[in-house]
Amino acid sequence: MNNIETTTRIKRETKNTIKVDFDRTPFWQRMKAKFVNKNFLVKLIWTIFRYVILIGISYIILFPFFTKIASSFMGPDDFVDATVKLIPKNFTFDTYKYIFLENKYMQALGNTTLLSVGASLLQTFVCAMIGYGLAKFKFKGNKLLFVLVIFSMIIPHQTLQLSLFMKFRYFDVLGIIQLLGGGSRILPQLNVTGGVTSINLTNTFWPLALLSATGLAFKNGLYIFMMRQFYRGVPNELEESAYIDGSGIFSTFVRIILPLSVPMMITIFLFAFSWQWTDTFYTSLFWTRSSVVLMKNVIAIPESLNITYAGSNMYNAAIRNTCGLMIIAPLVIIYLFCQRYLIQGIERSGMTAD
Amino acid sequence: MNKEAEVKLVQSNTKKRRKSHSLEKKSARGGYLFTLPFIIGFIVIYLPVIFESFLYSVTTIERINAGESYQLVWAGIENYRAALFDDANYTQILTAGLRQLLLDVPAILIFSLFIAVLLNQKMVGRAAFRAIFFVPVILSTGLIAQIDTSNTSLMTYMSDTEGIGTNAARSTSVAEIVSAMDIEYLFSNMKIGGGMAKYVSQLINNIYNIVNRSGVQMLIFLAGLQSISPAIYESCNVEGASAWETFWKITFPMISPMILVNFIYTIIDAFTSSTNSVMSYINQVYGEAGKDTLSVAMAWIYFAIVIVFVLLAAAFMSAFVFYQRRD
Repeated sequence: MNNIETTTRIKRETKNTIKVDFDRTPFWQRMKAKFVNKNFLVKLIWTIFRYVILIGISYIILFPFFTKIASSFMGPDDFVDATVKLIPKNFTFDTYKYIFLENKYMQALGNTTLLSVGASLLQTFVCAMIGYGLAKFKFKGNKLLFVLVIFSMIIPHQTLQLSLFMKFRYFDVLGIIQLLGGGSRILPQLNVTGGVTSINLTNTFWPLALLSATGLAFKNGLYIFMMRQFYRGVPNELEESAYIDGSGIFSTFVRIILPLSVPMMITIFLFAFSWQWTDTFYTSLFWTRSSVVLMKNVIAIPESLNITYAGSNMYNAAIRNTCGLMIIAPLVIIYLFCQRYLIQGIERSGMTAD
Repeated sequence: MNKEAEVKLVQSNTKKRRKSHSLEKKSARGGYLFTLPFIIGFIVIYLPVIFESFLYSVTTIERINAGESYQLVWAGIENYRAALFDDANYTQILTAGLRQLLLDVPAILIFSLFIAVLLNQKMVGRAAFRAIFFVPVILSTGLIAQIDTSNTSLMTYMSDTEGIGTNAARSTSVAEIVSAMDIEYLFSNMKIGGGMAKYVSQLINNIYNIVNRSGVQMLIFLAGLQSISPAIYESCNVEGASAWETFWKITFPMISPMILVNFIYTIIDAFTSSTNSVMSYINQVYGEAGKDTLSVAMAWIYFAIVIVFVLLAAAFMSAFVFYQRRD
């Protein structure tokens, strides 16, 4: 007590602050105690190691994008010049210009936007609904349905591609159209539709719309699984109080549950949208004619840039990459805005495997 | 208690019973209502598609009326036999593809768990790193992956700093970050066999591919890591456990259900991706005239092998999975 009183001297005192002067351990001693010990050293080495690994892998991920961007601004001469690496010498916008003008980019952008936004909105809503049904209601066959959802995720759609194509090329619901058209063995005399025994749905938006509306499109099993895990973490009291206040099942879902699950739904929308945007499987399966221009049709060498010279192999690869860059440009913009939600949504899902 | 009150009590009792019954019914109705799209889709589209797919694998298709409709001709196991014995490339590609799958899956799992643990720690720039690590999930799929496969020449050209003249002379080794020789030398000092060395050097040279394919797994692991209560780590810290011990005694068992989920997801993802050699071969066969049902048979063989593999591995792994008892 006495010691403190002798060493601390009040230098200045105002109403709210007080400045005290006292003997401190010298600066170098403090620094030594803080930084020269085993604990700090281990921590430092670990931090350096962590940053080296993270930055290294970030480089591996981002380097292809750098090369693509760099080569997209290069003129044809740069690809035979050995001194040109990564920084273009003949800086040009021609590649972008001709892809934009000659590859029907705007048309593809419009069609793909319509397709992707429509399909992914539908998928997000339908998967939320199915996930909610599986998570919150007890009914016969609940477990079986969940197994079927996982099953639909496991079977690759490539295995089913021929039958999916056939299904929508000769579309029919449980043989009803065939029956009406007189194609069936039971009632061959019946002919309401004038000999039409099936509808051709290829080259339209219908196949994807139908698959999305029934939760069977690309990776929808995963989305349903994620939604189910999320809703299992939502307390039952919320809906119970809504029911007591006289709200119906569906209006409770729309008014209370859906607003709650917006972060998770943004995650799923982002997945569905970007995977649909760059999808090649369904677009090439269901669009056999090129009457509907989609993103897959953009990847081509424009007429004006189709020149043959020593570096044309490299140049063509650069043009194709530029097409790729133009395709993912809208995705990058959306990702920059939504990536925060992507991780938040997953973190809040409390996904556990049981 | 008078009679009126008794009657009221009985009434309320019956009312209560009826209500609870109807609530149950209501819940069941709600369940069917919400899952109705999937039920309808499964019955009307998916089940017939699977059935037909199987049917196609045991038939051949003949188009009649100038392509307006078609006819199936029973072929028995002819397609399967043709796929396994007549097709010169299929069995080779199949075994090579399965071996690749066996090598890739553990690598992807370990890598994504490692990165998820790193990204879960507090540090400067964590958000930026997370954003970068999930770029491949969004941007390197489908069309872009397809363009990328024809891209290797441009990539090596751009990353090679020695110019075209020397490039041609050593074109085989340019793409390799490390050579197998170096690692073999390192490993022989550590008394580990040559097969392991080859495996590791293959992985390092394949790192771009592995990083690209472990995005979703990283997300799932990250979600799992977030759900572990910090109180457990705190008490470990108090008891004096090192970070290494904490990882193996706490993090690893708590994350083990996620490892199972990711394991299955990785196999299925690897198996359905269009860059997979077996799948691309099946696609190529599908494109050839008159061989579409053969490709279906090939896809079924591949699927059957993979599903057996998944089930066996899942049964084996689930014995080691630790489930935390809630409540």
